[in-house]
Amino acid sequence: MACNESDAWPVGPSKPQLLTTMDGGVQIAAALERPDRYAFFHKAEDALQAIPRGAGFSFAAASFGADVISIDLRSFDRVLDFDSLSGHIEVEAGISLGALFEFLTPRGYYLPVQPGHHRITVGGCIAANVHGKNPARDGTFVTQVESLRLFHPRHGCLELSPAKEPTLFHATCGGVGLTGIIISARLRAQRLPSTSLCVAHHQVATIAEGASLLREQSAHRDLTYAWFDCARFGHTFGRGVVVTGEFASGQRGAPAVKLPPSRFSPETRARLPFTQLNPVSVRLINAAYSRSLCRSNQTNVPLAKALYPTRASELFLSLFGRRGFHECQAIIPHDKVTAYVEQVRERASHGRVCIALAVAKPFDGKSELVRFDGSGVSFAIEVPRTAAAAQFMREIDRLVVQLGGRPNLIKDSRLPREIFEATYLDCDRFRSVLRQWDPQRVFRSELSERLGL
Amino acid sequence: MSTLVLGASAGLGRALARELATRGENLVLVARDGRDLAAEAANLRTAYGVAVDCLALDAAVPHEAERLTGLPNADAIRHLIFPIGMGTEDDDGLLPPSRVAALVNTNLTSVMAVVSLFLPQLLAADSGTVVGIGSVAALRGRSHNITYAAAKRGLESYFESLRHRTAATGVRVQFYRLGYLDTQMSFGRSLPFPKASPQAIADIITRNLGKDIGCVTLPRFWRPISWVVRALPWPLYRRLHF
Repeated sequence: MACNESDAWPVGPSKPQLLTTMDGGVQIAAALERPDRYAFFHKAEDALQAIPRGAGFSFAAASFGADVISIDLRSFDRVLDFDSLSGHIEVEAGISLGALFEFLTPRGYYLPVQPGHHRITVGGCIAANVHGKNPARDGTFVTQVESLRLFHPRHGCLELSPAKEPTLFHATCGGVGLTGIIISARLRAQRLPSTSLCVAHHQVATIAEGASLLREQSAHRDLTYAWFDCARFGHTFGRGVVVTGEFASGQRGAPAVKLPPSRFSPETRARLPFTQLNPVSVRLINAAYSRSLCRSNQTNVPLAKALYPTRASELFLSLFGRRGFHECQAIIPHDKVTAYVEQVRERASHGRVCIALAVAKPFDGKSELVRFDGSGVSFAIEVPRTAAAAQFMREIDRLVVQLGGRPNLIKDSRLPREIFEATYLDCDRFRSVLRQWDPQRVFRSELSERLGL
Repeated sequence: MSTLVLGASAGLGRALARELATRGENLVLVARDGRDLAAEAANLRTAYGVAVDCLALDAAVPHEAERLTGLPNADAIRHLIFPIGMGTEDDDGLLPPSRVAALVNTNLTSVMAVVSLFLPQLLAADSGTVVGIGSVAALRGRSHNITYAAAKRGLESYFESLRHRTAATGVRVQFYRLGYLDTQMSFGRSLPFPKASPQAIADIITRNLGKDIGCVTLPRFWRPISWVVRALPWPLYRRLHF
């Protein structure tokens, strides 16, 4: 147990480390602590400002900030309890989705709502209330959370659930770490119908057609998303493929699965300083990707690959170079999809912005506090970080507000406060919960400062 | 049969416990904080299906080790592993006596106390392994980590004696002199040489259980460094600040 004499919550300065957002937009030399013992979580009246941190994969600076200590929780990565009858599993918040997957799969369970990289932590998923492969049917990560343990240096450890301390529970799920440190969580895993998905590809000529197919398919599919080619601004703009999938019929449970190792991080995302994505290369990539999707109408995809398309996404994000990219992910109401797409096309064409990626997912929930949810189709657009792209993003901001959409605050490191306030109408209630729970505001981040939370 | 790990709640100790559990070994985990032990034991039982006993004790108070003999499966312990260590930034020779005692007890005396409790049963069974964990910090005394290095140097001497004592028996005594590890103790510190992963070291230690390997320096790149450090003449050594 090689340790220091004191393992307690920091009350003095820590050494700064350069932390960056996945999109390359924010870089801050922030103090970083990596506790590995429960002695760290003890009450301290004079606690310095801090923010919890998982894998650091957020596109916005949710886990670090200026003059804030980031608390890396990945040493708390254990399975504390598992009920093989109900599928309820209690884990420490620093466990990665991959480790959880490797534990659950041979036991015949899985979590339906998961983001696409296996190194993301459970704590991060709760704090960002992430969505999975079919948010319209499965909801967001909070639907899988039975209860959690939260630590705040002034309050100590608390057990939260929808029945016990519901206000704080709901503010913590999707609260971007601002209520305190999630130490552990009890999750509801679902029976794993089989170890592979039967994936179908439906070609669509326009984004509107794709969006309507997504909506139609979402009720009875385990996976629904759409990919669109937006690199051409002519009549072929938005040609794409709707991908749907359902578990293949087969045996429950699976042999032990080992996910591929990954050292990917925002700091190591790209080797080259400049972007390799330009109108020509994006067209070539899109053509190759489209061909690969359409090679067969139906394929069997292993669950691990369907849940975590890690290698492809790591490679793609690296192509943006160290300068990075902008992403705007916004839920657009169904009846505004055509208007949104037309405006995006026009502004990208006018601003000569290269849309490197455009994907869509169906949503059918209700946004509460500052959670990214709602009813409509979420469009995620990625563009290389350039001056023209920054202007394009400002225009998209105004468009999203105008059409009654809602941007994802953890996918955009520059989302301005006024756009956030105009689209998250419940944000004042979140502020008031925070003020009541933590008047001194121990937990802060660049994101909370930027959005006035 | 089971393996006792003293200092099992974090760093190398935690990695060793997991590595042993992966190989189906039952475990007795000992550390300072019962909360850490409970979490680690729950994980090992749930994920690997091994039997795990725990005991929270403060290694700064060596006679507390006697409580280990009261554990239900104490008789089944065949391997003793000591990935325990405590250091402090201000260990510059001016620490008050109580803190000096805590550092020496944790790094040295508690290990000797636990070995003395279990060596008789290992000798009676004529098998088992005792594994001590030292540090490259003890290669030569310097102005930092004064007490820590002294305790670790003492530990190395103790393990040499122990190896000599058990040479004619089936009990194996091993000592690892480790370089920097990527643990909480070294986190955030810029060090002149790379940090080794605790998992990689744990894998080597686990594979070596039962072998007569004596004293080993890991990672291997520390071997030539340790020769050089030891060979440096005093007039040169006294000028170094590291």
